[in-house]
Amino acid sequence: MAATTESVKADAAEAPLLNKRNLTLGMLLYLVFYSFIRWYEGVYGWSAGLDSFAPEFETYWMNMLYIEIVIEVLLFAGINGWIWKTRDRKVMSITPREELRRHFTHWIWLVCYGWAIYWGASYFTEQDGTWHQTIVRDTDFTPSHIIEFYLSYPIYIITGTAAFMYAKTRLPTYHEGLHLMYLVAVIGPFMILPNVGLNEWGHTFWFMEELFVAPLHYGFVFFGWAALAIMGVVNTEVMAITKLLKKDLA
Amino acid sequence: MSASQSAVRSRAEAVQVSRTFDWMILFTLFTAVLGGYHIHYMLTGGDWDFWTDWKDRRLWVTVAPIVSITFPAAVQACLWWRYRLPVGATLSVVALMIGEWINRYMNFWGWTYFPVNICFPSNLLPGAIVLDVILMLGNSMTLTAVVGGLAYGLLFYPGNWPVIAPLHVPVEYNGMMMTLADLQGYHYVRTGTPEYIRMVEKGTLRTFGKDVAPVSAFFSGFVSIIIYFLWHFFGRWFAKTDFIADDAS
Repeated sequence: MAATTESVKADAAEAPLLNKRNLTLGMLLYLVFYSFIRWYEGVYGWSAGLDSFAPEFETYWMNMLYIEIVIEVLLFAGINGWIWKTRDRKVMSITPREELRRHFTHWIWLVCYGWAIYWGASYFTEQDGTWHQTIVRDTDFTPSHIIEFYLSYPIYIITGTAAFMYAKTRLPTYHEGLHLMYLVAVIGPFMILPNVGLNEWGHTFWFMEELFVAPLHYGFVFFGWAALAIMGVVNTEVMAITKLLKKDLA
Repeated sequence: MSASQSAVRSRAEAVQVSRTFDWMILFTLFTAVLGGYHIHYMLTGGDWDFWTDWKDRRLWVTVAPIVSITFPAAVQACLWWRYRLPVGATLSVVALMIGEWINRYMNFWGWTYFPVNICFPSNLLPGAIVLDVILMLGNSMTLTAVVGGLAYGLLFYPGNWPVIAPLHVPVEYNGMMMTLADLQGYHYVRTGTPEYIRMVEKGTLRTFGKDVAPVSAFFSGFVSIIIYFLWHFFGRWFAKTDFIADDAS
């Protein structure tokens, strides 16, 4: 009886398997931040973003670029450094319940990664198309590029590497070896950022009409395919979770 | 961990955990496929999808199905062959179209003020549903590629006809015959307009008239068959669960 009481007390005090507060806050963080960014673009794109030689362009856009790059480098180093520093050195000896809890935390990271991919690869990338079809560019650092290439892409890269690092340092499933498709799912979309170098070089070298289907853009296409590798991660996770549950759910 | 230990304490908890994971997995799969598919589609067929004056009877009909059958084939290769879920193509296309509609409304209209009736996305849903139905009924990748791929190409123009027909009626403007969609394009000149003019004035598009669309759809269906095969195998590769041993890395 005493043992049962202790067990019930332990259950009551135990952290929930899924931390819904973190999941909600994570999703809201991207939503609120990007809503602000969209508002900023709407106001300062037209009022200060048309002529890169104007002083107001420096104030509202170039300063934003400098600030965001510094913050992103710090965030990348801080988040990944913290995940590595606090890694579990006895990851293979955790209880099944703790492992399940960590899978849930891992999925909070993955949900945020998917959400960040949406904003970067879909929302801000196609938005770039309509801006450049409307405004003739006179710089590589146009308002839409400062948001798309140098803000939304680094943000999904930081989120993706953090998810990968979390899995690698805290989950037995990923402890011994490197999951090939997880690497593709994180490094492929990451490579879109270095590919910006090719893109900007090309746009500087040739004066082109603003076609989105121009071959110069195919590097983005190739690395975008890597998002499909999330299927390999899902398959691995489904196998790991099924093993942990050991229940017939039919 | 002990081989006999379960991480859950009851069947009810196991069911709850499983359902919660289902939703988290679905959301992540949906948004990741949306992002990858959207960047692929906008950069391989985007200009034809962005603007009504590009939505002609030849290149739009040819290009859009060929470049858009890719992700549906790959996602089917995972969801059907591993989980028997006959929704891979529809899920991909719904994801893409949600991303596109949000963008066309919030940014094409909301930021750069193009009316939505010049920049609405193409409808890819009929072909996607047919792809899923053929795979579910036939349980054959070859059948889906050959019959489904062809149907995907052939159905594209009829699937978009109710939307595009009013914009393909002829008008005479400054002594020139053009479509209403062309007229929209002349009024909303974009930085990519010269290339469109070069494409549309080339070849037989204006002189062959009504014959162009079905021939283009048939050609598109033919290439879509080949692309389906290719992307089915891409999908299988991306669904792998292999590890690289740490000592090899």
